[in-house]
Amino acid sequence: MLRLWPLARNCKATKALASLARCSSTGAPAKVEVFVDDKPVQVEPGTTILQACAEAGVEIPRFCYHERLSIAGNCRMCLVEVEKSPKPIASCAMPVMKGMKIKTDSEMTRKAREGVMEFLLMNHPLDCPICDQGGECDLQDQSMAFGSDRSRFTDMEHGGKRAVEDKNIGPLIKTIMTRCIHCTRCIRFASEVAGVDDLGTTGRGGDMQVGTYVEKMFKSELSGNIIDLCPVGALTAKPSAFTARPWETRRIDSVDVMDALGSNIVVNTRTNEVLRILPRTNDAVNEEWISDATRFAYDGLKRQRLTAPFVRNAAGQLEQTDWETALVKVAQKLVQVPGEKVAGVAGGLVDAEALVALKDYLNKLGSEALCTEEIFPMDGAGTDLRSNYLLNTGIQGVERADLILLVGTNPRFEAPLFNARIRKSWINNELTVAVVGTRVDLTYDYDHLGDSTKILADIAAGKHPFAQTLGKAKNPMVVVGSAALQRKDGAAIHRAVATMAQNARVQSGCGDDWKVLNVLHRVASQVAALDLGYKAGVEYIRNNPPSVLYMLGADEGALTRDQLPKDCFVIYQGHHGDRGAAMADVILPGAAYTEKDATYVNTEGRAQYTKTAVTPPMLAREDWKIIRALSEMTGNALPYDRIQDVRDRLYDVSPNLVQYGAAEDANYFKQAQELAAGISGKLEEKPLTPSLLNLKDFYMTNSIGRASQTMAKCVKAVQEMP
Amino acid sequence: MATVCRLLRNKCNFLSKNVMRAMSNETRVIDPHEEKIVESHTERDTIIVDRNEVLASITGVPEEHIKTRRVRIYMPARNSMQSGSFGLNRWRMDFDTRERWENPLMGWQSSGDPLSNMHLEFKNREDAVDFCERNGWECYVDEPIKTTIKPKSYGANFSWNKKTRVSTK
Repeated sequence: MLRLWPLARNCKATKALASLARCSSTGAPAKVEVFVDDKPVQVEPGTTILQACAEAGVEIPRFCYHERLSIAGNCRMCLVEVEKSPKPIASCAMPVMKGMKIKTDSEMTRKAREGVMEFLLMNHPLDCPICDQGGECDLQDQSMAFGSDRSRFTDMEHGGKRAVEDKNIGPLIKTIMTRCIHCTRCIRFASEVAGVDDLGTTGRGGDMQVGTYVEKMFKSELSGNIIDLCPVGALTAKPSAFTARPWETRRIDSVDVMDALGSNIVVNTRTNEVLRILPRTNDAVNEEWISDATRFAYDGLKRQRLTAPFVRNAAGQLEQTDWETALVKVAQKLVQVPGEKVAGVAGGLVDAEALVALKDYLNKLGSEALCTEEIFPMDGAGTDLRSNYLLNTGIQGVERADLILLVGTNPRFEAPLFNARIRKSWINNELTVAVVGTRVDLTYDYDHLGDSTKILADIAAGKHPFAQTLGKAKNPMVVVGSAALQRKDGAAIHRAVATMAQNARVQSGCGDDWKVLNVLHRVASQVAALDLGYKAGVEYIRNNPPSVLYMLGADEGALTRDQLPKDCFVIYQGHHGDRGAAMADVILPGAAYTEKDATYVNTEGRAQYTKTAVTPPMLAREDWKIIRALSEMTGNALPYDRIQDVRDRLYDVSPNLVQYGAAEDANYFKQAQELAAGISGKLEEKPLTPSLLNLKDFYMTNSIGRASQTMAKCVKAVQEMP
Repeated sequence: MATVCRLLRNKCNFLSKNVMRAMSNETRVIDPHEEKIVESHTERDTIIVDRNEVLASITGVPEEHIKTRRVRIYMPARNSMQSGSFGLNRWRMDFDTRERWENPLMGWQSSGDPLSNMHLEFKNREDAVDFCERNGWECYVDEPIKTTIKPKSYGANFSWNKKTRVSTK
């Protein structure tokens, strides 16, 4: 029977098309006029009543409907009256029809809402005073706004309300399932966005339960989002349980640094302490989601912090001291050595202001040895052409692509929201995904071409059958992970990828607006550092051993003590006592991303800024100010005193660094590829393996994550829980 | 009350209009006779100032809170914990965050920053910028991030040949 459907549909479709062709010659669909509370509004055909009302500025109460999930239509809170319809209509699922007269505040609508609310509250516990959702609960607010002031369910027999056993779904999400109103948002999120089809319902009617059926952990890198989605207090955050009420907190809009995407976040603080981190909607970057590392690693901001300057004493012990002593010690050392013997290395969490301050300062001293911990091939055009190291298509570009080739990357853990975007496009836009690299679970199906570098060379040379597929695609994307470019043969891999991207760009005829080559970075500071002219990789420092090494938040161990000369004086400036601080002679305590006004440029080249949410702990200070103070002490003061002056300097170096919110396009792909063609390096036999393979690798990728107890619990739970 | 009102109006120009309006409303309720005096008094005292006049020097705000502060003008984002969108269609101004600490007496949060609780709302960006400029505060505007509404259909759940089809719930 099912097989007959396509035929019937085709017939209908052709008929409909024919009739369309008769009545209008233009291709664009005509808008439909509907009336929301007698106010006319023009919407696209196929829009739901709820969306039409939103366009008219009327918000319909809802529990199950969510803009970024599929329509469920099971809570019935969005019932509205439509003229000539005998019954109220669930507006979230009903498409508009021409001339529909929707009444969002009529007697029937109000009565319907009151009825739904009465049923929902019948079994909802009166937990509000001890519920973490209290104060930002949709059920609370909507029962006040749309509910009745009395109920007919009086429970004379004291039978009690429906009670449901709590589920254990991991260390991040606390479940109080009695509060659940069965909106199924968490289930839809899990299966549609996270791609982990673990949640579901069991039972029917009053016995229905949301859960995992057998006890298991909700193993997803995006699991925390179901806390936001839950309209009641059934799913709340375990790490921040019972810490504060939402009206006590202050919300500061900021940007995340846990990966290179720069998700927009809201930092909730109280008494100079970060209490939780929530996502902020930005369609161009993170939509409405954030990863678990972004959301829950904040407790790492309170542990292992460097709260005072330290100086290594004669006995080889780091000794706590004050700013003056530490800065004098550093300044004395810097004055003694020749300028070119000073080197700087920047880590993954450093902001553009500190990067430019350090670069200006070391340049003033006469040094050009400024490197980043992350390696990027410097052969050919290297980092001189921006298009070589950006995610040129943009994160939103994934939604317009029809073919993606992922090379040596596991976006699921390197950039979870980029992966969510690919998944979204895979579901909705029939995106085809192919992978060269180790086979990993990306939550969607893909063609696995193999993990050998030979395949890359074959595709670039047009010998591999996939080269044709790539050429035929309308909007192809080639995404290479930064980890693949950090191998010895990184330059050769970049050359191969750039060649196949350029070939695809020419063959597919996608035009100059569409960019094919994409580099997916893993750390937040990299693009800004490369924009500012840092050398990628510490090779330069290894070849030219410095007398003084300035480590700016360099914690990933790219340079170890035994790679440096014995008498090398190491200065570490950063916020966590991690690998970098352990090898330092002087430690200057800096500020973490929630503690400073700072600029970060994400992997697509979009400059965004964080805002000070809390002040740095104890003696710690903003990073660029520390470098500014030090420059004053050595007698070559940097010419900026205020953050605005630093940003003016950033503008002078590269205007895109302060064009906040916008992603500055890069170009010259052809030239970059021509320059890359001259690279002599050969591809190695080693398979292309991304750095993060499993969920347990995802949680601790930087010094904040490593200091976080919550992240440690996650790693443990992922390994131990079923 | 009227005297207090007059006094306030003269002394504290930086009090927001709403507060003043609330106060004069209160006056009217208590004593309509007095209200008349207030009205006539203000009319007589009205000084018309240029819209772009910088008032920083006479507002009574300490200089350190004019020269060192930066104001962010923005449209608030929806709280992702809730679906409601009321109150998002207006412009707000926030000062840079200064240090806060837990008060040992009650555990509430304390701050030495007199401006941290000043949240003013404006109908449009120009008003907010004007206000900041007149008060001598350096300000910057955050462009609101627009989200587009894409038509969605319930039928996609049952589509036979698309991945939007849902199997279970």
